[in-house]
Amino acid sequence: MPFKSSPQKFNAAINTVEIGSGDKKIVLGGECVYPLYAFDAPIENKPVVGIEITDLGVETFADCIKEYYAGATTLGEIAAKAAAAEGASFVTLTFEGADPIGENKSVEECVAAAKEVADAIDLPLVICGCGNNEKDVELFNAVSGALEGKNILVMSAKEDTYKTVAASAGLAYGHKVGAESAVDINLAKQLNVLIGQVGVNAANIVMNVGTAAAGYGFEYVVSAMDRIEAAALSQNDNMLQMPIITPVGSQAWGVKESLVSEADMPAWGPQEDRGVNMEVCTAAACLASGSNAVILRHPKSVATVAAFIDALM
Amino acid sequence: MAKFITIGERIHCISPVIKEAMATRNPEPILKRAKEQIAAGATYIDVNIGPAESDGEDLMKWAVQLIQSECNNIPLALDTANQKAIEAGISVYNRTNGKPIVNSADAGDRISNINLAADNDAIVIALLSKDGIPKDNDERMLYCQEMLEMWMMLGQDPTDIWFDPLFLVIKGMQDKQLDVLAAIKDISDMGLNTTGGLSNVSNGMPKHIRPIVDSNMLAMAMMCGFTSAIVNPCDTRLMETVKSCDIIKNNFLYADSFLEM
Amino acid sequence: MALTGIEIFKLTPKKNCKECGVPTCMAFAMKVAQGAVTVDKCPYFSDEALAKLSEATQPPMKTITVGEYKLGGETVLYRHEKTFVSKTLYAVKVCEKDPNCEEALANMGNVDYERIGERMYVEFAYVNYVDNKEKFLELVTKAKEAGKTIILGCKCPEVAKEALAITGKDVILNGATAENYAAMNEVATAAGCVLGVRGENIDELYDTVAALEAAGNKNLVIDVTLPTIKEAFAAAVQLRRAALKEENRTAGYPTIVDISNPKYAADATMQEALATLFTMKYGSIVVMSGMSYAQALPLYGLRQNVYTDPQKPMRVEPGIYELNGATPDSVCALTVDFALSYFTISGEIERSGVPCNLLIPDAGGYSVLTAWAAGKLGAGSIAKFIEEADIENKINNRTLIIPGKVAVLKGEMQEKLPNWNIVVGPNEAVQVVKFLRDL
Repeated sequence: MPFKSSPQKFNAAINTVEIGSGDKKIVLGGECVYPLYAFDAPIENKPVVGIEITDLGVETFADCIKEYYAGATTLGEIAAKAAAAEGASFVTLTFEGADPIGENKSVEECVAAAKEVADAIDLPLVICGCGNNEKDVELFNAVSGALEGKNILVMSAKEDTYKTVAASAGLAYGHKVGAESAVDINLAKQLNVLIGQVGVNAANIVMNVGTAAAGYGFEYVVSAMDRIEAAALSQNDNMLQMPIITPVGSQAWGVKESLVSEADMPAWGPQEDRGVNMEVCTAAACLASGSNAVILRHPKSVATVAAFIDALM
Repeated sequence: MAKFITIGERIHCISPVIKEAMATRNPEPILKRAKEQIAAGATYIDVNIGPAESDGEDLMKWAVQLIQSECNNIPLALDTANQKAIEAGISVYNRTNGKPIVNSADAGDRISNINLAADNDAIVIALLSKDGIPKDNDERMLYCQEMLEMWMMLGQDPTDIWFDPLFLVIKGMQDKQLDVLAAIKDISDMGLNTTGGLSNVSNGMPKHIRPIVDSNMLAMAMMCGFTSAIVNPCDTRLMETVKSCDIIKNNFLYADSFLEM
Repeated sequence: MALTGIEIFKLTPKKNCKECGVPTCMAFAMKVAQGAVTVDKCPYFSDEALAKLSEATQPPMKTITVGEYKLGGETVLYRHEKTFVSKTLYAVKVCEKDPNCEEALANMGNVDYERIGERMYVEFAYVNYVDNKEKFLELVTKAKEAGKTIILGCKCPEVAKEALAITGKDVILNGATAENYAAMNEVATAAGCVLGVRGENIDELYDTVAALEAAGNKNLVIDVTLPTIKEAFAAAVQLRRAALKEENRTAGYPTIVDISNPKYAADATMQEALATLFTMKYGSIVVMSGMSYAQALPLYGLRQNVYTDPQKPMRVEPGIYELNGATPDSVCALTVDFALSYFTISGEIERSGVPCNLLIPDAGGYSVLTAWAAGKLGAGSIAKFIEEADIENKINNRTLIIPGKVAVLKGEMQEKLPNWNIVVGPNEAVQVVKFLRDL
């Protein structure tokens, strides 16, 4: 008697959201099954991997990542190199240099950086702020205006900033809006409601529900995403059916396992291997929990995670 | 757990406006009430065409197609004593958003509606009564077993027969209210679904009191496992109660704006 | 799990014969569910129905014991529903055909460390047989001598018998197939060891398990290593789902998945991704071709996270943690024993490079504000901790940084610890680096 399998296909689905345009545009979401369960029903838009650079190039990244960019001097060259990485479906530009307690680059400089990157690549572009709310609101507005028509994803609209970010990026300039919460499912849902109330169509919202590196409280990430997927699919909760994008690189490269040098920890072996494995492990765990897109830094991680996704589709 | 299901009761031939609209096949008043109820959060819309002995089949077909085509195939409960009319309604029914509900069978004369629902792959509301009000819960449970058994013998899914314990009017049968709640609890404990015409409890009470009593009865019933009700979804207080109880029961994920959803 | 009246009714003969003394089968089923009558009052229950009834009282997924390890026994598909019980365990595969197999066996013990009270190491040696019996038995002996719990990858009953004579019963004999299961069952049963079931597809696996069950063997694990990763993942998920959601007891065994196959993973990094996947969903044992620190650190950390009980937050041991080469003269900082708080703060302190003695009192495993609100982190309890842990004798420095979120404690702490200079630290972890460097 063969094994009786009952496919778990839902009558609800994750929204589809397009970023970018033309041949290289990406489509996030659309699946009516739990994450990576392509055996229950086909997943038409497979999860995608993005590669991250900053407005400072890759200056602040680990040396092993910089090696890949050797020879690229301008931001445009760095962006082109990033876009050429095997497995990369989009590029993320993080405005690290805009931070008022860091380099405090002006909004004009950020706009120039964004344009340079956008002109150098044909992959879709995702932009992330510096983490300072006031500055981010200002620069998102300016960058959204400068890149009108590019259909970028602007991360992030948070509890304190969603009104302005949704109105400028989402409404005035027609980009996609990233709703950011930090491992708090009720806030994740509420932000989607609020951004919708500003007037942004649900089909133009992507969620960043937060993450942690593997080993650093990742159980909260797993449970938050498990519960979001369950609400979206089994309860057909349309305020949680937005696809999920997860910036993994910044977390994975920020923990001890990826930062300590081999000289300080000889038993642990090369730093590069540790950082890449931390990034790959965290990304695979996020994808298994429900991310439709992950943002990584090391080209080896990008290629591996893209191949991992392909093997499961 | 799934969200509580509300079946909007406002398309009922007892209303003069609706009666008139049905007689003259005038879409406007019917669509107006359908849309109001959907906007207020109704999951299903009940279509009561009355006994409709002469033109029931034609009327039900007309009403089903009218409402579904104009309201994104909202699922419907087909409510009439005329079996042929129910079958006619199902023949044109669109299942995209849910099976039709046959409203209703009981353990007496209308027991054959269970066969009708099974033959047509529909959900059936099963009144726990034979002739009039059951005298106690033993009688309710007897009917429950009887109809459930029949349903399952027909190869149907036990969650597709929704038991109506028969809500009783407080002004007159105040001492029986806890029995009704106990019946809901017993039925729910078996993993079965329940429904019922809730507003009967407040029948005859002053208008401003009715939503308060209905809401509280509903909250207590939901605590006992009640899974759906036939209600007026335009009753704001009642719908707020449904939504709040869904949150408390973890049927729906909390967000600050949950009442607006 | 007890069956409801409705589920029992489905098993009844539905004759309504009244011989049981109850008017209908439905009423009888309800009474059985309540425990008011026993099922033997009905003379017409089929054997199959009775078997199902008795099975229903069994747990949905079996717990299989291999030496000191427990596999399976899960009751939920998602950790937030309750908790996962048996964490994923890791094996490294050594094959007699591989010229470097002895080195691989020796390297297996390289990763061995402790993280929040849990020892992290490779639990199993998967010793694989192809056709060189001598070499295989020699490897088995070496693995046994090295103190490893062994999985024997062997489909030949005669060779397996000889290997089991070396290892004893605390192993998994992974080698029953559709062809050889009868012979393998004999060998495994005689030795008293767990038998692993292998196959080309999920139907074949399932049939072989059913055949072994029929032969009386329920001491099994299912090897879901199928021709492609997608099939392997599908099998792991579908079996677990069938066991827990559909009460399919034949699907309710722990799983093994071997991701060392180059067809699955071109390199160690891809193996990391796959090991992560099967740690999340739903591999009981993941077999890899090796385990380096680079692979282990994220993987074991993830496993520790995923397999924590959601009701009980992870805690670190109270005590003094010397960071960045801190000495008794280095400054002291204090946070709570909630693992996440500890990791966040210790990570930031390490990033700052400033030598620092991180003091962790017993704060009930709560975060800073929760611990404070629950009365687990107060001036009194901190002063008591400093006394009981003998900190004034172990540390010379008298500057103590407290979390910014409990700045209110400063005054009272200053009173209770008059020799100390109490400094209020930042509110958020991200400000720690700057704070320490500016100190």
